[in-house]
Amino acid sequence: MKGSRSARWGVLLWALVASAVVWAEPQATATGTGAPDEGNPRLEATLLVDASQVKPGDTFRVGVRFQLDPDWYIYWKNPGDSGLSTEVSWDAPGVTVGELRWPFPSTFRTPDGFIVTHGYKGEVLLFAEAHASEQATGSLTLSAAVDALVCAHRCIPAEILLSRSLPVGMATVRDAEATALFDAAQAQVPRPPESSGHTVALALDAQTLKTGQPFSGTFTISASDGKSISAVEPDFFVPERIRGITRMGLALEAPGRFQLKGDAAPNAPKEQPRFKGVLRLGTAQTGYQALEVDLPLAPVEVVPVAPKAPPKMAPFTPPVVAAQVQAVAPAVAEPGVSLGLAMLFAFLGGALLNLMPCVFPVLALKAYGFTRMAQEDRKHVGVHALAYTGGIVGTMLLLAGVVLGVRAGGHSVGWGFQFQEPLFVAAVCAVLVAFALNLFGVFHVGTDGTALSTQVDASSGVARSVGEGVLAVVLATPCSAPMMGTAVGFAFAAGPGTVLAIFTALGLGLALPFCALVMVPGLAKRLPKPGVWMERAKQLLGFALLGTAVWLVWVMGGLAGVDGMARLLAFLVSVAMGAWLYGLAQAAVGTRRLLGIGAALVVLATTGGFALRFDGAAPTARASSVSSAQPWDDAAVAAALKAGQPVFIDFTADWCLTCKFNERTVLTREEVRAAFSRHQVAFFVADWTRRDARISTKLGEHGRAGVPMYLVISPSAPERPEVLPELLTPDLVIQAVQRAAGPGADAT
Amino acid sequence: MKRVLTALALTAALSVAVPAFAADGAEVGKPAPAFTLKDEAGKEHSLAQYQGKIIVLEWTNPGCPFVQRHYKANTMQNTLKALDAKKVVWLAVDSTASNTAEQSTAWKKEKAFTYPVLQDTDGKVGKAYGAKTTPHMYVIDAKGVLQYAGAIDDDPRGKNATPVNHVKTTVDALLSGKPVPAATTEPYGCSVKYKS
Repeated sequence: MKGSRSARWGVLLWALVASAVVWAEPQATATGTGAPDEGNPRLEATLLVDASQVKPGDTFRVGVRFQLDPDWYIYWKNPGDSGLSTEVSWDAPGVTVGELRWPFPSTFRTPDGFIVTHGYKGEVLLFAEAHASEQATGSLTLSAAVDALVCAHRCIPAEILLSRSLPVGMATVRDAEATALFDAAQAQVPRPPESSGHTVALALDAQTLKTGQPFSGTFTISASDGKSISAVEPDFFVPERIRGITRMGLALEAPGRFQLKGDAAPNAPKEQPRFKGVLRLGTAQTGYQALEVDLPLAPVEVVPVAPKAPPKMAPFTPPVVAAQVQAVAPAVAEPGVSLGLAMLFAFLGGALLNLMPCVFPVLALKAYGFTRMAQEDRKHVGVHALAYTGGIVGTMLLLAGVVLGVRAGGHSVGWGFQFQEPLFVAAVCAVLVAFALNLFGVFHVGTDGTALSTQVDASSGVARSVGEGVLAVVLATPCSAPMMGTAVGFAFAAGPGTVLAIFTALGLGLALPFCALVMVPGLAKRLPKPGVWMERAKQLLGFALLGTAVWLVWVMGGLAGVDGMARLLAFLVSVAMGAWLYGLAQAAVGTRRLLGIGAALVVLATTGGFALRFDGAAPTARASSVSSAQPWDDAAVAAALKAGQPVFIDFTADWCLTCKFNERTVLTREEVRAAFSRHQVAFFVADWTRRDARISTKLGEHGRAGVPMYLVISPSAPERPEVLPELLTPDLVIQAVQRAAGPGADAT
Repeated sequence: MKRVLTALALTAALSVAVPAFAADGAEVGKPAPAFTLKDEAGKEHSLAQYQGKIIVLEWTNPGCPFVQRHYKANTMQNTLKALDAKKVVWLAVDSTASNTAEQSTAWKKEKAFTYPVLQDTDGKVGKAYGAKTTPHMYVIDAKGVLQYAGAIDDDPRGKNATPVNHVKTTVDALLSGKPVPAATTEPYGCSVKYKS
């Protein structure tokens, strides 16, 4: 019938119009996407509530879960050097929503560490406590406006509106699935120390902060259950943005003690700046505990900046003053090393150093001298042992002083740093050659002349013992013994007292064999009797010293090229000539003697002046003995890891004998090479023969102060490289590489 | 003799040459780092050639949403227009590793501004100044001393209709001989996409 048909059309038309109205109105739902990148949204946000029904007056949790595409991230409340903090604004009539809670953030750095930011990758739930009012009825509408910046290689803003309803009822009914998500997020939110039974304290080194200048202090934290706090991962401390502070960082010094370092901004803030940030203690294995800290720092003193007339040649201006709080990459000492343990390691390491090829010639030399002395003049053995130990410990303390002085100047050094300096290498070479010539009998020191002299002149002999101690230390530095690396690394990152203590322990360990000779009764008696063999042994040792000099000439080649080697050799010839002239002078008397000495000095001075000029021209990098080795480069390492290749980084230097030993006996062995090619290991060499700040920093990151260091990185865990010990064995390397290459294997 | 040589060895050990300290940025109150860069048209610009004028450096990247927002609102052009052209020079710097002169030329034409876009693809000048974000602003006075480093204004999210424009307040203060209100502020924006 016509009427009903038109009525049906009318209803249909109405339905269409109504649905069009409904569709035209933008409906905010509980889930939304944002940050479109060429059509693909990089962010999905979901509004979650931990209850499916709420009773008026009860509390519940409401939050936004962010799910990001791989490699994309959003920012923490302090984004860092760039970016924008994620903002969630709530609109919930009848509900009071509290402050947003932020789980502990990750830290992202550009490969050279220039730009540091904080945020979240993958998935994160930012939530808040909410309280339904007593008068709530029916259904509550919860809305959230999300304003986030989503970045990877580029940045895309995301603005998402989310909404959902929450029925009001007689009882609060928890949603099990959502509660689990909220609980997991809550566990990662940093808590005030008191709530987890921790006590914190901050002691600054100075009474005030000075504008534009660095400051330092000590931050201590102790747990009420007495457990030691010694395990932290990199980037365990993330500071908030603080007015008046541009940078702040913490480094673990000892269990429960951290060194605080930071820079004050050039402008004084209105209020006293505070030490505010979040800390995450523990590791993935031991479990994490996130704490928030908020302690007063110190008032800021304005230091007037002296106005400078701009120089004609614009200089490279000194560093500092990025006006943002930046988490400084801390040198994290290996977890679990206390001062006492480090000193023990240093002592044992020092003792083991005696066996290393660097020190052995000096040790043998001393042994020869002692043997003779033990037979001829037992009384003086004790004095000489003491003099030798004194020489060693004194030089160690001097070395420690140099390290502290250079560090105070704001620069970094590592163990063996002197051998990066050509003049030093030349000087040590000269000493060795002169010493060898002395042993051959070209000239003598003091009255200790002919080989079979029965009298040992006490005074000159003692000075000689001290000198031998000094030489032992000088030669020991390019060698690294097991356990020494950890101890020295610990020292280098710590305060002055620790550095001195560790270096003293190292010195005592190095001097151990002779102290044993003296302390243990009867041991001196056991030494063989003197005879002509001693003279021959002495001359043989001269050759051992010349061998050491040859190695140093090779190191010079790495520092200053073939030209540098030739000039050094020329200088050594003049040293030999000087020694010969001196020897002649010693046989003569009066003016002839003086003339001889004068001639020796002139020869040395002129040749030295001409030959020992090192202008720091860098020679071409020496090819590694391991073929297919590439120079270390963070970008290349990242590329290799991305391609699924395990990475092996060899931190070495020409002057480091332990490094060369490992390279020749382990890294170039058939089975190790086979393992490398089987697992397609990308092999990198970081050559520290000449000074390199990037390598020094990397060593510091793993708690080491010198080479060798070996890192094995698995593509499945690129942030946790495995650090191999200083002395390698083929099995050790092969197993480490297998672990790194294994499917889904954890590199640690 | 050996003692003398030993002493020499020790002295040599003490003379450790200073390793080059990687500079982290320019310091306000000190002379600004010198630079010479070519702009998108190939013309060279150096700090020295503009001595006597106030120089505003703007680190930029057309791909960054913050820069896009400002160029949509003509923030930079308007700021420059309000300043005395005889006394102020505005230079944009692009330290993005993947940027090319052609891209800068096209962008300049599209946005119709007149100041040059200096090409710093190897990032050396950016790192010398410590430029971390786009935009990141620096104001250098007529004597070549850096007087301001930081954000263009105090409104990172662009929600404020009338934000405080730090570049304008700094230049106004310098031209009238008054002290600069804020020598540094926290810059905001995307990170500079350096080569490394």
